[in-house]
Amino acid sequence: MNKEFRVLSRPYMVWLSVLVFFPILAMIFIGFSNLDSSVSIGEISLSFSHLNILTQSSTIIAFRNSLIFALATTFICFIFGYFIAYEIKLSKFKNKFVLLTLVILPMWSNLILRTESLANIMSENNILKSLLGFNIFGNIAGTWMAVLFGLVFTYMPFMILSVYTALEKIDFALEEAALDLGLTPLKKFWKVVFPLSLKGVVTGSIMVFLPTLAGFAIPKILSRGQIVFIGNIIDNKFIYTNYNHGALLAVVILIFILGSILLITKFDKEGETLL
Amino acid sequence: MKKIVLVAFLLSLSFVLVACNSKPKLRILNWGEYINDEVVEKFEKEYGIDIVISVADSNELFYSKIKSKTTAFDIVIPSDYMIEKMVEENMLLQLDYSLLPNRSLVTYMDGVNQIFASMTETTFARSGLNINYNNYAVPYFWGTFGIIYNNRVEGLEEALEEHGWAVYFEPNNYFSSARRGMYAVPQFAYASAMMYLGNNPNEYNSALLAQTKTVLQNSNFVEWGNDTLKRNIEANNLDMAFTYTGDYLDRLYIQLSEGKTLEEVRATFDIYIPDTTMVFIDSMVIPNTAKNIEGAHQFINFLLDPENAALNAEVVGYAVAFEEAFDIILSYLNSEDIEMKNWATANSIYYNMEIERTYYPLTSLQPSIIDSISTMIDQVRTG
Amino acid sequence: MEKQYASIKDYGYRDFTKLNKIYSIIKKLLVILIVLGLYLSIIVIAIQSLNESRNLSSFTRLSFQWYLNIVREQELMNAIKNTFLVSSIATVLATFLGTFFAIGLYALSKKSRVLWMLLNNVPILNADIVTGFSLMLMFRLLMVVFPNIFGLFTLVMAHLFFTMPFVILSVMPKLKETDPNLMDAALDLGIKPYKALIKVVIPAIKAGIFSGMLLALTMSIDDFVISYFNTGSGFDNLSIWIYAVIGRRNLTPSVYAFSTLLTLFTMIGLLTYQFLQRQKKGKNNEKNSTSSVSSQS
Repeated sequence: MNKEFRVLSRPYMVWLSVLVFFPILAMIFIGFSNLDSSVSIGEISLSFSHLNILTQSSTIIAFRNSLIFALATTFICFIFGYFIAYEIKLSKFKNKFVLLTLVILPMWSNLILRTESLANIMSENNILKSLLGFNIFGNIAGTWMAVLFGLVFTYMPFMILSVYTALEKIDFALEEAALDLGLTPLKKFWKVVFPLSLKGVVTGSIMVFLPTLAGFAIPKILSRGQIVFIGNIIDNKFIYTNYNHGALLAVVILIFILGSILLITKFDKEGETLL
Repeated sequence: MKKIVLVAFLLSLSFVLVACNSKPKLRILNWGEYINDEVVEKFEKEYGIDIVISVADSNELFYSKIKSKTTAFDIVIPSDYMIEKMVEENMLLQLDYSLLPNRSLVTYMDGVNQIFASMTETTFARSGLNINYNNYAVPYFWGTFGIIYNNRVEGLEEALEEHGWAVYFEPNNYFSSARRGMYAVPQFAYASAMMYLGNNPNEYNSALLAQTKTVLQNSNFVEWGNDTLKRNIEANNLDMAFTYTGDYLDRLYIQLSEGKTLEEVRATFDIYIPDTTMVFIDSMVIPNTAKNIEGAHQFINFLLDPENAALNAEVVGYAVAFEEAFDIILSYLNSEDIEMKNWATANSIYYNMEIERTYYPLTSLQPSIIDSISTMIDQVRTG
Repeated sequence: MEKQYASIKDYGYRDFTKLNKIYSIIKKLLVILIVLGLYLSIIVIAIQSLNESRNLSSFTRLSFQWYLNIVREQELMNAIKNTFLVSSIATVLATFLGTFFAIGLYALSKKSRVLWMLLNNVPILNADIVTGFSLMLMFRLLMVVFPNIFGLFTLVMAHLFFTMPFVILSVMPKLKETDPNLMDAALDLGIKPYKALIKVVIPAIKAGIFSGMLLALTMSIDDFVISYFNTGSGFDNLSIWIYAVIGRRNLTPSVYAFSTLLTLFTMIGLLTYQFLQRQKKGKNNEKNSTSSVSSQS
């Protein structure tokens, strides 16, 4: 592309630097100082005392919960999401744009409304039971199953979209060639299609993994407050104006995120396939 | 593509034009659905002021909105302990009573005066300041806390009447299979356990913290929620929960308006108000970031009119703070209109101020204490 | 009986027809179940919106009153209006700016492009509460100069912050796919670079721009946390309003009605689009029976 257009990227560079770098620095500063609403500028000093939040049992358990649920959600989303993306790719329906929009359409409704309605039908007496006469979920409200179900079906569209984008670029001739060479359909999939779609799987996984790890609304509503995620703890810290602990925990999550971005770049040197 | 962009742009432009309006505005930061739309309309008509309402769901969010100075609300309606905190941090303007002539029309209820006095007391104990909170706040609604329970569970009502808090906090001794829920505000959970232990809920030390932790752990809560508590009890998905009395009345009013009788509703779920319980008061205050201070006073003055206060209470399940307004409500006890009659009856049952009770308003605790309490609650919840 | 000739199975051919049948049934079942899972909450919301009672746990009678009631809920209407205002402005701006930024980034040397694309990912991946809070801190600094900045402006800026990266990410791969000769040819014909950009490059990356716009709108419409921290007084969007009301009081079922309408209208829009495309294609096929014109990307 013409070098003349480089100037077009300048404003975005400034924008990103200001809005990404400075806030991260500020968070680190708040996390390691005594700054809060009642401290005046002159009294600010560095302190590492907030680090004790990281070793508290509730923090560790919450982090463990987040991590386990995020991993499980990502894995299940990968299996089912890949399957759906593959079916979309194979489908005879020409207008893939319509299918993809249908996949993402549920996300246009409010997340809280969707989650509350799931929580509703997962309890013992609910609106579907009064219509159908039986419970489709049994009584799983408040259990890990409810949370996992909510997370999987909330974030699966991200996986489907990313995997589909990767699958779309695969040349169909390659598949035919593989079959001609005598590979079974399953082998063909493993040896030819899957490796070529791996980028999409990685980006999709990260797009599912991170919101699950940092989110708080879905576990809060679907576990009926019984399963605490790290996002709930951070949220509470900010709400009850304990910014120091909140910022510190947020920085820890951020480290996780930067780690995963590094992971992307390992798979994808251009760092551009996210989506 | 171009057309889509153009259409979207024109659409957004038209929204901007619609949004522009020359009338003076009064910005209120309120709890969700905590005002009668009729009151808003009446005020707008009488004073030619447009009311713009923003909502939040906790006192702490109110606080952060005002404290960050990123907003310019003219009226905020926080609860007692948050008003203490806001006054201490100089976030509120003093009221100008010369602009509030209707103040002489109303008498605050005894309970309301008690709460204001106790706020002054706890502030003095904490910081040595002697503050008359009437200078900053005019009561909006108030109410008690209680244990909302599922009346479909045999014998629960009688047990609660007889043993009070113990039924809720001792699953080993009473109704071991009952599903218990707790309000997911750390200070509420702590305070309720303190009252069960016979303490003042505003006291704090590490021994008490450990005691309340054991109490809360032993209660085997199956839900930590907010308004989901009342809905789950109503739907027979939960049996007991500590919550606002007004939460119960909210659901009650809805069921009444859908044609159920008071007896029918009470037979399915009801609320027990312990002899020692928490009270709260939400009051109108003017933050010092306010722009339309005159309009704010006009609005407060408007709601000091007992007629308007009673009108506001028609859709909100909490108790009015003025005796004159309460009398207006009670005057419907013999009304022909069933809905109005039920409304008045519910008020007379649940906000009967003649029963002798010990009321504790929550005080504003130090941030470090609140943090210890919320960490304790997090530990209980993570098990 | 002894085998005299090698069957085709001995050459490695296996008969999959039976397996394939079972496989395709399972496949269809699975697709239906997953789609049902994706749409389950939407279906429940629709049922709740048709319930006469405000009670969410039992269905009493079919009623459309909550649909009629939408316009009468002033606060709700206001929130819907604000949501549309913010999301449409943010989406249009994000699509417009994002496209040009992407072109600018694409023109960079490969090394710095990789670096900036890496940073571009941070707003997408960052936890909402961290983004929301830190943006508020940044906009707070601007308040010294512009005291009334909080409101529509900060909300749109915040939404731009997390929607623009999506546009850039969707546009970038399409830019790579375009033929570099296209631009050169245009320049050789004497068109000025920026005119060539609009006349030649933009049409070539149309599909990427469109999917970027779709994603930007999706993210913007559903955002609560970032919006909450960055809105001003009296400018709540739908998510903020729902979150505050659902926390303590009773949500009017009109919210469910609105949500259902939004989904329905989008679906109808998509179907009409699909239908129109088909018709267009049909006509083209009539005219030109030898080759079918595919108008999709």
